[in-house]
Amino acid sequence: MTKRFGGLTAVAGLDFELREGEILGLIGPNGAGKTTTFNIIAGAHAADEGEIRFAGESILGLPPHQIARRGIMRTFQHNRPFGGMPVLENVMVGAHTRFARNPFSRKAPAEEERQRQRAKELIDFVGLAGLRDADVGTLSFGQGRLLEIARALAGEPRVILFDEPAAGLTAAELDRLAGIIRGIAGRGIAVLLIEHDMRFLLSLASRVVVLNFGARIAEGTPQEVRSQRAVMDAYLGDAAAL
Amino acid sequence: MNQHLAQRLVWIAAFAILAILPFFLGSYHNDVYRKMLLWITLALGYNFLFGICGQVAFSHFAFYGIGAYSVVVLTFHAGLPFPLAIALGLLICVTVALLVAIPATRLEGFYLALVTLALAQLFIVVLNEGGNVTGGAGGIANYRLPSIFGWRIAGPAYTVVIVLLLFITLFILLKLDRSWFGRACRAVRDNPEAAAAMGVDVARTKVIVFTLTSALAGAAGMVYAFVDNTVNPPIFGLDNAFLILFMVIVGGSGRHAGAAIGTILLFLLPFWLAPVVGYHHQLVFGALMMAVILMQPKGLIGIWDRLGDRFSR
Repeated sequence: MTKRFGGLTAVAGLDFELREGEILGLIGPNGAGKTTTFNIIAGAHAADEGEIRFAGESILGLPPHQIARRGIMRTFQHNRPFGGMPVLENVMVGAHTRFARNPFSRKAPAEEERQRQRAKELIDFVGLAGLRDADVGTLSFGQGRLLEIARALAGEPRVILFDEPAAGLTAAELDRLAGIIRGIAGRGIAVLLIEHDMRFLLSLASRVVVLNFGARIAEGTPQEVRSQRAVMDAYLGDAAAL
Repeated sequence: MNQHLAQRLVWIAAFAILAILPFFLGSYHNDVYRKMLLWITLALGYNFLFGICGQVAFSHFAFYGIGAYSVVVLTFHAGLPFPLAIALGLLICVTVALLVAIPATRLEGFYLALVTLALAQLFIVVLNEGGNVTGGAGGIANYRLPSIFGWRIAGPAYTVVIVLLLFITLFILLKLDRSWFGRACRAVRDNPEAAAAMGVDVARTKVIVFTLTSALAGAAGMVYAFVDNTVNPPIFGLDNAFLILFMVIVGGSGRHAGAAIGTILLFLLPFWLAPVVGYHHQLVFGALMMAVILMQPKGLIGIWDRLGDRFSR
């Protein structure tokens, strides 16, 4: 795929593949095109050229809600909770696409209850068990990030896109987050991780694509990528992070 | 299951009380009571649009008027059978709502507010300049509710019809609110971008809510048309469109009980204030509105919640 903003080519002919149950990391220095790539997949930006195929269907250019409907859910780097609802309701919004259509049907209350139960399980899974009924405004930044994850999981995704999930988290929260992301991949969900934090990403990803100036400069396992010269150069100022 | 039954009994009891009450009221109080029930019905719908879905619109009373005028014009000027006039009137409300909402909600921000402001103004102009069809500034009078199977509903019995309208409106809104749909509306209100990422079709949700609440206002207007057996322009103007916004905010936007409380308070307040301040009650409303926004953005229902919390501790 390719994306241009005026004269700037943010993503230049990038291509990669994401498989079931794997954690694919997309890294690169600031301005490498990570977020643009993310937004194109999530439907927030249109690409100028290219194609995204998901389960045999071309999904490039679909609006965000259509992407979600196909089982591709995302988290936001800057948490975007629904401020007027408690934690549990926030997570249930994530299950939006899982509901049958008619709210007036006799089966609606039972379905609502089932989704409520599932949402509770997901809240427990991400470790917010005591905070189900909390006002989202009272959550810490790290807890807000966990809420984002539970909410995305409520959509029963086949793919989950993480937009810099490590940003702003403490070391203890990072450990917890890593465990959760491994657990998600363990459920057979494909994970695309866009991350600035090299150490976090390399410890977690099964495969890594390195971007610089919108193009792929390396791809492979974390060990392979770590040893490549081009990656070192791209991260020159950041070499200590490796 | 028992809890379910208990809940149903509470609803039936509430309906019975509200429906029996008018039979014990004099004709003046019955009139005040009816209008208050109609205002509550309108406020519940407006609260769903504004408080739950976060859309600002000023056309609620225009649709109230479209409903009222269409049923009267179609029945008494066009001579259509009454049920057909009702169905056509609702169809007109839905069509106008869709024409307004589809282009407006695709745009961001205040477009719906601006477009509905224009619609409300335009509607009053159409009523005033409508010649024989709308009766101009004087409106239409001298008609009566057609009899159904030889029986004409009148007096306190018609108040029961209004109570029924209120309960049907509340039933529809509560069912929607307590489902995935209500949650999607709140999500659209709180954060449209995140809502879309969760699979919510934001534009479609806004259009559905605007159309539904406008049609409910239209239905209320049809019932209103036979309260005084006259329809005329001033009722359907912008003054009331702003007043209903005040009512919902003062009571507590986003909450059905809040909308009802705010409406009852602001509806009855002028009756009590009239001997004291005459027609300057608008000033009191303005002050009350400012006080609520500054001191308790969750409205009167927010104060009630806090009192409840304090007692349960």
